[in-house]
Amino acid sequence: MPSVPNSSAAPEVLLRVTGLTKTYRRVTALDDVGFEVRNGEVLGVIGPNGAGKTTLFECLAGMMPRDAGIVRVNGDLLPATQAGAHLFYLPDAIAPWPSQPVGWALDFTVGFFGGRADRRDDVVRALNLDALLDRRIGTLSKGQRKRAMLAIGLLAPQPILLVDEPFDGLDLRQTRDVSAAVRAHAADGRTIVLSIHQISDAARVCDRFVLLSAGHVRGEGTLDELAAAAETRGAHASHGLEEVFLALT
Amino acid sequence: MRSRSGPFVWLVRKEWRELTASRAWWALLALTGPLVGVSFIAAVNSYAEVSAGAGSGCGFVCNPLDGIWAPTFSAYELAAIFLLPFVAIRLVGGDRQTGALTIELQRPMSPFARMGAKALVLLAGWLVTGLAGLCAAGLWLAYGGSAYAPEIAVVAVGHLLNAGITISLAAAAASMTDHPSTAAIATLAVTVGLWIVDFAAAIHGGVWTTVAAYTPSALVAAFQHGLVQVDVVLIALTIIATGLAVAALWMRPGVPVAGRARDSLALAAVAAVVVFGATQARGSWDASESRRNSFPEGDEQALEQVRAPLTVEVHLAPADPRRQELDHQALAKLKRAMPHVRVFYVSRTSTGLFEEADPGYGEIRYDLGGRHVMSRVITDEGVMETVLGLAGITPAADADDEFHGHPLAVRPVAASWVFYGLWPTVVVGAGVLVLRRQV
Repeated sequence: MPSVPNSSAAPEVLLRVTGLTKTYRRVTALDDVGFEVRNGEVLGVIGPNGAGKTTLFECLAGMMPRDAGIVRVNGDLLPATQAGAHLFYLPDAIAPWPSQPVGWALDFTVGFFGGRADRRDDVVRALNLDALLDRRIGTLSKGQRKRAMLAIGLLAPQPILLVDEPFDGLDLRQTRDVSAAVRAHAADGRTIVLSIHQISDAARVCDRFVLLSAGHVRGEGTLDELAAAAETRGAHASHGLEEVFLALT
Repeated sequence: MRSRSGPFVWLVRKEWRELTASRAWWALLALTGPLVGVSFIAAVNSYAEVSAGAGSGCGFVCNPLDGIWAPTFSAYELAAIFLLPFVAIRLVGGDRQTGALTIELQRPMSPFARMGAKALVLLAGWLVTGLAGLCAAGLWLAYGGSAYAPEIAVVAVGHLLNAGITISLAAAAASMTDHPSTAAIATLAVTVGLWIVDFAAAIHGGVWTTVAAYTPSALVAAFQHGLVQVDVVLIALTIIATGLAVAALWMRPGVPVAGRARDSLALAAVAAVVVFGATQARGSWDASESRRNSFPEGDEQALEQVRAPLTVEVHLAPADPRRQELDHQALAKLKRAMPHVRVFYVSRTSTGLFEEADPGYGEIRYDLGGRHVMSRVITDEGVMETVLGLAGITPAADADDEFHGHPLAVRPVAASWVFYGLWPTVVVGAGVLVLRRQV
C-alpha cells in the first residue's frame, strides 16, 4: 500500500482502521483496507463509483457485518455493535420520515440522539434551511434533501461524522455553502469523513485524503504528501488531485 | 442544552407521528366505522325479530352477548385480518425503505425497546378504532338495551389479543423482508395457513383439532362466547411476544442474515416449549351473564364431587355436526367442570356419511372409574345426567338461577347516520386537522 508517512506534527489519531475486508459472495468489495482519521480533520475518501466507499462507511458504522478488520477509537477497540457511540453515518440518497417536516426532523435528531439544541439555529442558517423548516422531507428536491440530511448529521452528537456523497445533487453555490458549513463544523472540533467521487469537490473541503479503488487503499495523506508519492511514479502532480488520483490508482 | 425527554419517549412520539401521518391508519379508522355499523345494524334487527317472536320468556335466545356484542365486534376480526397488517407493515417496514431506520439505529438502544415503541403505538392506534365499538354500545344502551360489562370487556380483550397477534406477525414479516409488499404477502400467507388449519380440523379432526383450538379465529370465538381460558391467553401472549422479539432480532444492524436466522430459530424453539407448557394449563372464567359456557351451578357442584377420571369415547366423524355440537357445548362444559376428563374420537371417515349404517356409529361411550355406559344423547342435559348417573350422584334440585334473557324489539334508529355519515366525516376531518398540525 503506497501510503505516505505522517508528519510528526500531525494531530492525534482518533480512528484507526486496519485490515478491513468485506466480500459479497464472490466479489471482494474491501480488501485489507487500512487508514487513520485524525482528531478534528476533514478526511475525504476518494474513489470512483464502485470503489467500495459506501461499503466502507457501512462497515465502519456497524450497519453491515465485516469479514475481517479492526477499528479503534482513541486506541480502544470499537466493536461494530458500539459504533453508534462514536460514529454517526449519513447514507446517500435517503429520505427518512418523508411525512414529517424538516424542522421536526432536526428537533428529533437533537432530542433522540441527545445532540446540542443550541447548534440548531447555526446549522439551519449555515445550510440555508430556514425556508424549508415547514416543508415535508418527502417533498424536497434532491439538493434540498441533501442539505436537510447534512443538518441532521451536523446536529448528531457523535464525535465522528461519516457522510456518503455530501455534494451529490448540489449546484455550485450550494456545494460551496455546504463545504463552508463542513469546514466550520470541523473547526469547532468535530471529525468528519466524507465519501466523494468528484475529486474537484474533495479538493475544496478536505484536509487529507484516502484514495480508494477497487476495494484497495491506493494512498493516504495530504495533497502535498500524495503529490510527492505520485511524482515518484512520474506523474505531474502540480496539475492537482485529479492527476494524483490517476497516478496512484 | 439537551432535551429533557428520554430517547424512548422521543421514539414513541416519532412512531405516533408516523402512524398518524400514514394513510393506511386513517383508512383503517375510516373503514372500521361502517364495518362495525353494518354488523351492529344487522345484529339489532335480528335481535328485534327474535325478541318479538319469542316474547318475554325468550331466555337464552335473547342474550346480548350472542345477539349484539359478538356480531358487532366481529367487524374487528375482519379489520385485524385485512387492514391492520398494512398499518403495521407501513410503520415497521417504512423506516427501512426510507432510510430512517439506518439513522435511528445509530442511537445505541435495545432492539426490543425499538420494537416495543412501535408495538405500543400500533396498539394505541388499534384502540382508537375501538371508538366505533363504543358508539355501538352507546346506541344500544340508548335503545334501552341491556349491557353486562364483564362479557363486553371479555369480547374486547379477545379482539385486542387478536390484534396483538396480527401486529406481531406483520412486524416480524416487515422486519425480515426487504419490501413491504413481500411482508404483506407473507402476513396474508400466515393468515391463509391458519384458515387451512381450521379447515383441516373440521375435516380430519385429530391433531388438527388440537392445533386449531389455538388459532386466532378460535381465540376470538372463545372470547366472543364470554369465555376466558388460561391456556389460550398464555399462548396468545407467547405468540405476540415471539413475533415482536423476532422483529427486533431482525432489526439489529451489522448482524449477518445467518446469525439473525439462528437467533430466530432459537427463540422459536423456546416459544414452542412455552406454548406446549401453556397447553397444559387449566383454568377458565365464564364471563357471560347467561353462563353459556357452563352447566347450571347446582349441576357443576355435583360434577365437582366426581373424583374418578372420566373417559369419553365419541364415535362421530369430524365433519358430523353432532360432533361439533357435542364438542363445543356439553364436552367443553364438562372439561371445565371436572378436573380429569379425556375425550377420544373414533371414526373411519371424515364426514361420517357412509358410517351411519355401522351399528356403533353415533355412540358416546363413558368410562368412569371402571363403570361403563353408552349413550347417543349430545345435549348438555343428557350428557350431564349420564355422567352423574354413572357416578351415582343425584343432582340438587334446580335453583331458580335460570337466565331469563333481555328481549328488546327496537329498530337501530340513527345507527346508519352515525356509522355511515358522522363517523367517516369526523375521521376525514380529524385526519386533515392532524396532518396540517404536523407541518
